[in-house]
Amino acid sequence: MKRKTFYQFTGPSIFLMLALMILPLIMAIWLGFNYVTYRNLSAPVFTGLDNYVDVLSDPRFWESFRFTLLLIVITVPTQMILGFVMALLLDQIAMQLRGVYLAAMLLPFIVVPVVGTLMFKQLWEPSGLMAWVYQVITGQAFYYTEASVKALIILHTIWNTTPFALVVFFAGLQTLSPELLEAAAIDGANRLQQIQHIALAHLQPLFVFVGLISIMDVYRIFDNAFVLTLLNPIYHANTLMLYAYQVAMRVERLDKASAMAVLTVIGIMIVLIPFLVNTYRSQMQER
Amino acid sequence: MQPIKNPFARAVIYLVLSLFVIWSFIPLFWTLLQSFKTVLDANSFPPLLFFTPTFDNYTQLWLDKIPETFPPQLFALLTILVGLVFVAIFVRRLPFSRAILYWGIAGLVVLSLWTIPQVVSVAEFYGYFVNTLIITTGTVAVSISIGCLAGYGLARFAGIEGVIILVTALAFRALPRMAFVLPYYWLGSMTGLRDTYFLVIICLVAVNQPFTIWMLRSFFMEIPREIEEAAMMDGAGRLESFLRVIIPITWPGIISTALFTVLLAYNEFMLVLVLTQSNWTLPVAMAQFTGGEDPGYITMASAAAVSATIPIVILIIFFQKQLVKGLAAGAVKG
Repeated sequence: MKRKTFYQFTGPSIFLMLALMILPLIMAIWLGFNYVTYRNLSAPVFTGLDNYVDVLSDPRFWESFRFTLLLIVITVPTQMILGFVMALLLDQIAMQLRGVYLAAMLLPFIVVPVVGTLMFKQLWEPSGLMAWVYQVITGQAFYYTEASVKALIILHTIWNTTPFALVVFFAGLQTLSPELLEAAAIDGANRLQQIQHIALAHLQPLFVFVGLISIMDVYRIFDNAFVLTLLNPIYHANTLMLYAYQVAMRVERLDKASAMAVLTVIGIMIVLIPFLVNTYRSQMQER
Repeated sequence: MQPIKNPFARAVIYLVLSLFVIWSFIPLFWTLLQSFKTVLDANSFPPLLFFTPTFDNYTQLWLDKIPETFPPQLFALLTILVGLVFVAIFVRRLPFSRAILYWGIAGLVVLSLWTIPQVVSVAEFYGYFVNTLIITTGTVAVSISIGCLAGYGLARFAGIEGVIILVTALAFRALPRMAFVLPYYWLGSMTGLRDTYFLVIICLVAVNQPFTIWMLRSFFMEIPREIEEAAMMDGAGRLESFLRVIIPITWPGIISTALFTVLLAYNEFMLVLVLTQSNWTLPVAMAQFTGGEDPGYITMASAAAVSATIPIVILIIFFQKQLVKGLAAGAVKG
């Protein structure tokens, strides 16, 4: 394909992405350097690094940062291990049943996130099923407290994200060559050794892929924390995105929220850049 | 891996998998139960598993004034809507051209959705539902049209710009949405476009474009170049051979991408939350049901949650193959 034809075909899409992704990012950077509230939307005042200083010295920003990190550290390994174990087990059962089980397990992944959280929350309402189970087991009533709301956000994130890891690992296991496993079995490798040395080695690129995607997804998590905390500050369970939203929409400081968004963008680069370099290399080879 | 033979171990495997299915399903199961309870039953402790079901929550959610007698026109319209869904499912086996039929069905659905508020007084929830349909349809139409062109271009062009565009698009897909959404808000407020379908649709198309072009490109790359070269030999232009030859062959892949775009648009919360004031879509409207001291909110929220899930379930049943295909394509390619 000639270069000119290429640009004719990709033109509309490139234009839209330039206008509504790259330009907004530049605007966010620019808004971060200005004083903008709802009263002076059309006349921002340049204030330099003030907003950034403001964000970095805001204890609630660091609180939401710590909670987001905690979410990543707990949920990403859990969903990967759980997804891998379930994929291994799913690989063991009869062909005809696999589809049914897989379809049922995909439900949390397909349902609208806000609705899924709402459903999840119903279980823990004062008259909910799990609240009752909790009371029967521990002898105490279940209340929404700082610890329990944070635990619910973590639990919901695992519920919501595990199916993705499961599907990816399951698809990966289907491409594992049976000859390799047979050879290993003949050489006397037991099942655990086969999993460790063959399945895990084969799935390693997928583990990296799922890990990076999940870190980036959990890092910007918003919907479930919104529904579970209802923006109530007493739970101290803000994620980075949720706190930025509150600063923009509730405190009405569009400038400070933009600075925060820019800082979170810089933060994700640690994970994003290796991912992009990887993709760039593989695309250049494929070309 | 080779199957485990030990029957006891196999029983344990089925047990563990079933437990995982229960864990995935229990929120939906419980919400479904709650949505059919009276307010009193829903708030009772310990929770009730057996009760007399009632449809009141759904009627209250969808209708503003509950009519004394059930209007026959509404009954007729609902029958038509349900009938159309069945026709759409069975029509797949008919031999003649489906295009006209699908357009006809789509037209009738729009007509019924427009007629229902004339027959009964509907509640706000109905409006949010219609908003969601409009925004989702608009996003899919624009996103897939420009995405197909770009995906095809990227699949066939060997220059370095293609790689740069793809990698940049991927980077923007991974970035926290807040970085775009706040400028959108600013733009919307300055131009007065906030709370319009246009702005929400165009922004949704933009944020989903990276996903769309990556996925469509992977489908176009599976089509051998010889096919369009043959068409171009016969005198067709690049665009003509693309529209007449390539698009029909890639159609299953395009449907699969469209399905994911529907899910993305239907599910979007933060962007719509910031860009709308009252023209909410379902997820944003749902978030309003989550709070409050009113004991009735549990049943209403449950009915709303189930109502918002039904269209997705219908869609998934209808396009099950494409969904699995898309997931597998995305998963294996990375």
